Amino acid sequence: MPGRWILQFIFLWSPLAGFAADNAYLEELIQRARQANLSQRAEWLNLLHYKPYPYWPGSRSLADDPEFFNAPHGKTDAAGELEATLAVFFSTAEETDKTQNPQCRFIARYRWLKQELQFDPARLPKQPCRRFYQWRASLDPHEITLVFPAAYLNNPASMYGHTLLRIDARDQDEHTRLLAYSISYAAGTDETSGLIFAVRGLFGGYPGVFAITPYYLKVREYSDIENRDVWEYQLTLTPEEIDRLLMHVWELGPTHFDYYFFDENCAYHLLSLLEVARPGLQLTDQFRWWAIPSDTVRAVTDQPGLLKRVVYRPASVSIMRQRLMQMPVDQSRLAKDLAQQRIDANDDRLRELPALDHARVLELGYEYASYEAATGRNKAPDAVTRMRELLLARSQLKIPPQKPGVPVPSVRPDEGHKTSRIGIGAGSRDGRRFGEIHLRPTYHDLLDQDAGYTRGAQIQFFDMRWRHYRGEDGLRLEEFKPLDIVSLSPRNDFFNPISWKINVGWTRKHFPGGDEPLVFRFNGGSGLAYSAPGLFGGNAVYYGFIEAALDAGSRFESNYTLGAGPAIGLLANVSERWGFNLQARSLRYGLGDDHWSRELALEQRYALTRQSAVRLRLSRKQEFQDYWNSGDLSVHFYF
Amino acid sequence: MLNKKLMAVAVAGLFSTGAMAAGENNIGCGWGSKVFDGQRGIAPQVLGATTNGTSGNQTFAITSGTSGCTQDGVVKSNWKTAMFIDGNKEKLARDMSTGSGESLESLAKLIGVEDQHKAAFFQTTKDNFAHIFSTDNSSTDQVLASLKQVLASDSELAQYSQSI
Repeated sequence: MPGRWILQFIFLWSPLAGFAADNAYLEELIQRARQANLSQRAEWLNLLHYKPYPYWPGSRSLADDPEFFNAPHGKTDAAGELEATLAVFFSTAEETDKTQNPQCRFIARYRWLKQELQFDPARLPKQPCRRFYQWRASLDPHEITLVFPAAYLNNPASMYGHTLLRIDARDQDEHTRLLAYSISYAAGTDETSGLIFAVRGLFGGYPGVFAITPYYLKVREYSDIENRDVWEYQLTLTPEEIDRLLMHVWELGPTHFDYYFFDENCAYHLLSLLEVARPGLQLTDQFRWWAIPSDTVRAVTDQPGLLKRVVYRPASVSIMRQRLMQMPVDQSRLAKDLAQQRIDANDDRLRELPALDHARVLELGYEYASYEAATGRNKAPDAVTRMRELLLARSQLKIPPQKPGVPVPSVRPDEGHKTSRIGIGAGSRDGRRFGEIHLRPTYHDLLDQDAGYTRGAQIQFFDMRWRHYRGEDGLRLEEFKPLDIVSLSPRNDFFNPISWKINVGWTRKHFPGGDEPLVFRFNGGSGLAYSAPGLFGGNAVYYGFIEAALDAGSRFESNYTLGAGPAIGLLANVSERWGFNLQARSLRYGLGDDHWSRELALEQRYALTRQSAVRLRLSRKQEFQDYWNSGDLSVHFYF
Repeated sequence: MLNKKLMAVAVAGLFSTGAMAAGENNIGCGWGSKVFDGQRGIAPQVLGATTNGTSGNQTFAITSGTSGCTQDGVVKSNWKTAMFIDGNKEKLARDMSTGSGESLESLAKLIGVEDQHKAAFFQTTKDNFAHIFSTDNSSTDQVLASLKQVLASDSELAQYSQSI
């Protein structure tokens, strides 16, 4: 930005008479800063968002906005930026509605440098920064809470999570938290195509910015529309630390960063705010390659003395499920009939109920109607009329609210297993012995322990297996799946989601004659899942899918083959530690090379600790005309 | 007083369109319900699944100066109640129908209801549910106006009608 630099040069050095005298003081400050080596101090580098390059030595600022720097090479030259920043502090520009004096624009830097260099107020006068102090006064900050909306029904991708910071005002309590403000970092876009969003998000295609939002809008978005339980982690930041955090947020203001879905995401940047607030916290260092929001929450809760307490805020759906568990079936049917307008609010069957039950049915009826409207399932033109009727009927009952307490899950999302996994094992296939190494960078599969996770949801990235057969040389890649998602969502009278799966990657295919080249596979399907209340204490889900698979490779006659067929299975927890998945699949490849692929597999997991487990897998498989049995035992560690 | 405020809502609404056209990441008052019109159906769910996306109009940029009903990203104090009702209409209706709840507590806090009057406030809004939410799709200004009326006609709570 040479133009900008020249302007700044003119603005700084030529027109102001006072500058000649101050020039000496600026020189003095610069010398003192150099002597103290301030520009290499962690506090300064944190304020500039300097991070080491992942691949080569050196570091640079993650901020991708020239406005964030005062020096032309501020992004890579921390010392130059410090000196240029000192220079602009001498500006006497007055604040307007749209512009600020540099002392206010960079108020966190000003505060820190002032403290380190002991600015002489006579030679470097302090600016009033009215806008900042007005802003801080209206936030009235007292506490900071890290907010984590957990995964939601039938959407394994949401396990990836999101985090935001909430600024709790002095006069709030647990009943009025809605009035707080939240600070979040997000990709600024109106993109409605999830696919385009995902792709551009992966490659830094959006500007990420910090923004402030009334917390009630966030709660509405997460608990009421997306139906995610929200976890609120109240932190122990002191007033001084909170002040630093807010000054830094102010200073970041509209600064944009290139947004990267995996690493430079919401969670990562929030950690850097906490690092500014409490110098010495080392949070972002742990996330050089990727930052999964739940892992970043774990990094925060692992810091000694940073966590004060945790509040669980169940989503609307969690409250409805709790009601359903406590209500006789004939009453829940009435609630559903009410919501779906099969009976009206004055129906005799309702009025015959005891008053308490009557109130409960009306409340559930409304919640369900509201849920169906929010998820787009109820398109009846008079749905809103019905919803108001239900509320009106409820308001006429002299009964206190009947909202059930939802028990707090015993394991929080940050207390579940860690998300990277390594496994080693050995087994035999048709009498041939092998050893296997398994590496999954992230995140969770159906058989990993459920505690802290959503049951029936699987999302894995870059899952890899290598195998060594006895008597052969070296390791060979057995399987590599960049993406692997499964969602098993049990259906019942009230909720009827479609289960689905999708995975893509390379796998070994067994051709006639016995050789097994790697082929590319794209596999997906949809189906239905139901819980089996009578089996294993209700901890079992059975499911059926219709799947399709496209295999591609030079070994196929026309380079590809396309198959389809059914799969059925039972996923169950026998005990807290012991779980299994029994599955049968049959795919008929009709296009391309005509053949069958069938599999019957039983996979079991026994958890040794929260961070380790043993797995035993037994299967019988067919591809083309060959059948074979295999079994292997492996031990997995989570890290 | 109230009419003036509603007038201003309308004006701010007009301005916000202008501000958007000028490329500013800030929207005036009255955005709340509009934001969520677009939040239903499959597409936003998929977008939500990717967790980190947001459209500019759900958030306020920090340090963007004064515009609409916010200043540097925080809601100006004279807009707070209207904005809160606008963003919480469904939950307020639900809370009022049972006479309790987080949204109702927060509303009481916003209009400064003291602890000793809270029970009466909850009971009154419950008893007058039909009046406060007088139509199926009550607008924010309708809710504000009728809530003000209901409070004014209650001897114990009349003092609070001034702060709406």
